[in-house]
Amino acid sequence: MSTKASEHEDRPWFLAHHFDTVGQQVSSAKLGMWLFACTEVLMFSGLFLAYFIIRQLYPEMVLTASEELNKTAGGFNTIVLLTSSFTMALGVRAAQTNNNKALQRNLLITIGCAIAFMIVKYFEYTAKIEHGLLPGEYYSALEHGYMLPKYSRVFYGVYFTMTGLHGVHVLVGIGVLSWIYIRARRREFSSENYVAVENVGIYWHIVDLVWIFLFPLLYLVK
Amino acid sequence: MAHSDSTQNSTVYLNGKLVENPHEDTHHVSPVWEFSLVFGALLFLTILTYLVSYAGLGPASLPVAMLIAFIKGSLVVGFFMHLKYEDRFYAFLLCVTILFVSIFFTFVLFDMSTTAELNEEAGIEYKRHVEDSAEAAEAAAARQAAEAAGAAPAPAAAGHH
Repeated sequence: MSTKASEHEDRPWFLAHHFDTVGQQVSSAKLGMWLFACTEVLMFSGLFLAYFIIRQLYPEMVLTASEELNKTAGGFNTIVLLTSSFTMALGVRAAQTNNNKALQRNLLITIGCAIAFMIVKYFEYTAKIEHGLLPGEYYSALEHGYMLPKYSRVFYGVYFTMTGLHGVHVLVGIGVLSWIYIRARRREFSSENYVAVENVGIYWHIVDLVWIFLFPLLYLVK
Repeated sequence: MAHSDSTQNSTVYLNGKLVENPHEDTHHVSPVWEFSLVFGALLFLTILTYLVSYAGLGPASLPVAMLIAFIKGSLVVGFFMHLKYEDRFYAFLLCVTILFVSIFFTFVLFDMSTTAELNEEAGIEYKRHVEDSAEAAEAAAARQAAEAAGAAPAPAAAGHH
């Protein structure tokens, strides 16, 4: 129960009617976001386990097949995502300190990095498709002059599923970041009301977190 | 969670620590230098991941790469996601998640690595082994043919043990 005053004239415009205080609203939003972040970790863990299983069954195949992945592109994308995480964290800080201009600038850089990531991914995928390095029945590396071990199609299945699901998350991230950017342009956020920025930040860092594990496993296996 | 229902004058404790001004929704604001330092550390660890992968550590390279990734992940979660300064309940949630992921991984991978030996003892041969031997022979033949033709596409299947 809140104090009487906060039930009437003290309610800020962004406080939903079903919450007593701003603190309660922020805690609820953050708890929901962290629960979602945990389910994201659980979802990706299944794919990581699939990777470890094929790695345990066919170590030479995973090693040989992964040599065809573009390490430069993967490394560049790692730097891009780390930079975007950095600017996202600075964006949340800008919202906390009432610096709307810095918030908009940091959100734009973050969105730019996300788009750069997807462009690099597009070129990587195009190269793989052209060389027939595809999952399952679409695998046709031999016809394209690649002599890879027998079960390489399984590796490319795991590669496309993991990076594909991660790519979908990046696309969704571009969407929610744009939504936050539009709201920031409307000057909706302040040091009192920034939990939406913070939650989108948590989502974006999860995307970065998944890539931190994806990159060494898929691109740099030795 | 951090916000108590107690009246203005009472003292509020959270995780055994005194909460000052529990009715003011003040939040921790990390300084920019802290974010920059974390970002620098993440870039450094990325370069380290590269170096480790080319260092030829053999079977140790996977645990080392995972350890570096884990440190990078902890930095992102702790500082960028602000978990270090949040209510500890969120950290508890994440720890429970990691616990369940590790149970999931341990049981499946343990089962995979042990039943292979049991099958071998029982004289059950995997179809995969038969196919892999044929595959290795095929790949070796293809490589020889390619070398004879003068082309030099290097990556070919290694022979199975």
